[in-house]
Amino acid sequence: MSTVKHEFGGKQQLGFMLAVAFAFSLLLGRLWYIQILHGDEYWRASTENIIRNIEVSPPRGRLMDRNGTVLAENRPSFDVVVQPYQFVEPKDAETPPPMQLLQGYLNLSKEDVERLAKKISQKQGEVLIARDVTRAQVAMVETDRLRLPGVEVRANSHRRYPLEQVTAHVVGFMGEVRGNELKEMEQFGYRPGDYVGRMGIERAYEAILRGAPGIERQVVDARGIPQGEAETRFLIGDYQKVDPIAGRDLVTTLDARLHLIIDEAMRNYPSGGVVALDPRDGSLLAMYSKPSFNPNSWSGRLSAQEKLRSDNDPYKPMLDKTVSAYFPGSTFKIVGALATFEEQVMDADDEVKCPGYYRFGGRNFRCWKHGGHGDMTVSQALQHSCDVYFYQVAETIGIDKIAQYGYGFGFGELTGYPINDESPGRMPTKEWHRKRSPDGFKYGFALNTILGQGDTLATPLQVALAYGAVANGGDVYFPRIVDRVETSEGNPLFVFDPRVRKTVKMDPVALAEIRKGLWLAANADGGTSYSHRPDNVEVSGKTGTAQVHKIGRIRVANSEKEIRFRDHAWFAGYAPSDEPSLVLVVFLQHGGHGGSDAAPVAMDIIKRYFAGEDPLARKIGEVHNAPTPSVEGVGEREDVSSGDFEDVNDLISIDAGTDSEVDQENAGE
Amino acid sequence: MNDRRRSRFWGRIDWTLLALVGVISGIGILNLFSASRAAYGMPVHVSQSLWFAIGSVVAVVTTLVDYKWFERWAYFVFAAVCFLLVAVLVVGTELNGSYRWLNFGFFMMQPSELLKVAVILFTSKYLHDRDFSTGMSLQNLLVPCGVVGAAVFLVLKQPDLGTSLVILAIFGSILLFQGLRMSSLMTLAVVGLLSIPVVWNFGMHDYQRSRVVSFLNLDEDTHGSSWQVRQSIIAFGSGRAWGKGHVESTQIQKGFVPEHENDFVAANWGEERGFVGMAGILGLYFALIAWGLRIATQARDKFGALVAVGVSATIFWHVFVNLGMVTGMLPVVGLTLPFMSAGGSSLVTLMFEIGLLMNVSMRRRALG
Repeated sequence: MSTVKHEFGGKQQLGFMLAVAFAFSLLLGRLWYIQILHGDEYWRASTENIIRNIEVSPPRGRLMDRNGTVLAENRPSFDVVVQPYQFVEPKDAETPPPMQLLQGYLNLSKEDVERLAKKISQKQGEVLIARDVTRAQVAMVETDRLRLPGVEVRANSHRRYPLEQVTAHVVGFMGEVRGNELKEMEQFGYRPGDYVGRMGIERAYEAILRGAPGIERQVVDARGIPQGEAETRFLIGDYQKVDPIAGRDLVTTLDARLHLIIDEAMRNYPSGGVVALDPRDGSLLAMYSKPSFNPNSWSGRLSAQEKLRSDNDPYKPMLDKTVSAYFPGSTFKIVGALATFEEQVMDADDEVKCPGYYRFGGRNFRCWKHGGHGDMTVSQALQHSCDVYFYQVAETIGIDKIAQYGYGFGFGELTGYPINDESPGRMPTKEWHRKRSPDGFKYGFALNTILGQGDTLATPLQVALAYGAVANGGDVYFPRIVDRVETSEGNPLFVFDPRVRKTVKMDPVALAEIRKGLWLAANADGGTSYSHRPDNVEVSGKTGTAQVHKIGRIRVANSEKEIRFRDHAWFAGYAPSDEPSLVLVVFLQHGGHGGSDAAPVAMDIIKRYFAGEDPLARKIGEVHNAPTPSVEGVGEREDVSSGDFEDVNDLISIDAGTDSEVDQENAGE
Repeated sequence: MNDRRRSRFWGRIDWTLLALVGVISGIGILNLFSASRAAYGMPVHVSQSLWFAIGSVVAVVTTLVDYKWFERWAYFVFAAVCFLLVAVLVVGTELNGSYRWLNFGFFMMQPSELLKVAVILFTSKYLHDRDFSTGMSLQNLLVPCGVVGAAVFLVLKQPDLGTSLVILAIFGSILLFQGLRMSSLMTLAVVGLLSIPVVWNFGMHDYQRSRVVSFLNLDEDTHGSSWQVRQSIIAFGSGRAWGKGHVESTQIQKGFVPEHENDFVAANWGEERGFVGMAGILGLYFALIAWGLRIATQARDKFGALVAVGVSATIFWHVFVNLGMVTGMLPVVGLTLPFMSAGGSSLVTLMFEIGLLMNVSMRRRALG
């Protein structure tokens, strides 16, 4: 037996023990560092690992019209999202990759798959795979959860607008928060993929409609699969859920019935805006803009085709025409009429003789009626829309006085309408012309301005509020669009009281004469809208035909002009004449003539509104295809085309007008 | 006489060694019971218990045969294992891109595990047969280094970097215990340092490099190669001082730590028992290793001493590297934690080595 010395290994043993002790103390040190010094941090990290906070979006507030008809509501929908960290390829070869499964279940296109795969590989937060999937798709994904790690189906809600394009501009629509807005909106709690109001009330009242999100805490395993209830309770206790606070409902002042009536009445005109309000408190009954779009499809994934169609439409469907500025034409004459009295240019009975033109500064300013109106008082001038009478007034008081009375009625200023970025319009003054006109101010500008031409611009809403002031005796209201805010149970939280923005100082005689003029226009033979007056209610109102393009020497009929050079047609008025409860402004963009186009539409609306007709009773889908209103309506229409004197005159004035040297051609009945 | 010798032999049973191995294995099985999440098949703590029983039988048998017998067959064992290693490279079964297993139908064998034992036996015999009482010179080292190096190269080819390194470490430990001349030690150190870039460029696979890289910047990609290490550290840390308690390791139970029954099994212990539990298990390992070294110094001959050192070194390197990697101190190389990690092959091999240790202990010097 080969023996070893007793000492063999003695020295080494000590060295080895020291080495092992040293190595183990390193391990202990490391464990001390992790478990004792940083234990609490890691403990939190392990908690965060298993507890997932899921934000529960609150139901968005609904929008109702004044009678409780729903304008916007929510419907349940389902989204599919993926947690990238858990979305791993299967280990065995038999299981198909999860992306391939999703592609099959959700009908994803190849481009979608590539885009999503790239997004998932970046591993920054959850990735939205598909929005608003069908129930069948939800079922397929849910039943295959084990092969789809990290894939979740989220209940969500989508906006639904029952009136579709009829109330699109004023109600608005929803859109996903865009990347470039995210930074700013994150501070208000918006996340990628959240929806936000994009237009109309949806946008303006976003903060009220949105509500506050709740939070649900779930215990999940490494694959993201939620654990049982008992386990969840054991690990995180009772603090599992904070309910979301529902968005507030808004009861608007709008009238869905009136909107539908308007939509039907406008069927023959491609573009325009209609404003209806209650002159007694400034409540808006209708804010209708055409052409429109379907907010239901704009709120989801808009098809590229639909977007393109909208972008290429010359009438700009996305533009709210009720708050865009146009030449107001003769509807603006109420301003000139008031100035006549207030500046004591003429009394109610004083007459101006209209020979068909007005001589000023070496030029002939035409009246729309070539042969002239003869002797006119102020009310007759409104009745016949005589231009010469107002040329006289304009020459007497000058442009700044016109502007003063224009401002008095609220023209040239924002009305305080909270939605859709209204235009302030324009009320030109000397100063404005000096700054902006190429040749500076010329006195003759006053003559164009008083007719609502030249550089005067007004929105249909401004016109409506001004006529509201005439109707109620002088109060220009802030437009009321929301009547009250309610909880989802229907308890009122806040009521928006009517507020008067300004009161037009009007001599009672002046007010009476202006009203008389507007009454004559609709109710006396020779009035501009006389032939279209409804039989069930007395209407007072003014028509307007605004030229949008300087007419050259060669005259052509409206119908032969390029669309963008055609005249705008207006009607502004109120009913019933003695105790007005409705102010209506119809604006037809490039729609022809006030008397023959706008007036019939307006009268049709007023007649059916006061007759209590309710298109809501019909099915929504039929509204746009419905060929037409009532038999009487058609009859009246035939009357118009068959040979209304005034209409013929309208045509003559345009066609036959010859050698005027006016800078800006003035028209208007 | 024979009876008396036998009774004296049984009277020398190393109860300390038995107790240490028994306690650590018991803890290992308890820990697996808690970590096990298998929904079907045999629960891992049950299969581990079975392997422990088989390992115990192997250990007893190993103890009964005088280790002189192992000394005689050492070279043959080494050659046989080398043959198996070659076989692995030729007809081995692939798993996760490397060839480590020989499939015997009813049993999968990992020859690289056997190489650890073979290297211990080979080296001990080689050194036992020669007198290096003045320390080994470089020339003396040439043969053993060449032979062991060739065998390790086969393992490296599988590829199995972790096992290769641990075998070299065990080999080195035995050489150090034997004693090297200072000059050869220095030369080896220099050669070792110089070979690092060569190995990095030519001797390592991409995934191995990526593990090292991920280890060096741990927090950059929390879900890349170091995701499991990060989760493992969270498991340890969240145990804090006293641990979360039995079967309450959320990190493990919810599947955040991969390989939680094998290489990362300590994470469960750390999470459930905290720093105190970890210190306890480290203490047990330290005691076991120290006891092994004590057995070495009391061995009746150099072969026995070096075998004891080799076994102790095996346990030390496994524990150190494994705990180092699961706590993020060392790169992930895939080494099991002795007696704790589930797995028959390594447990049985380990029990065989414990048998050798017991063998050397019971036939120590005083016995004559």
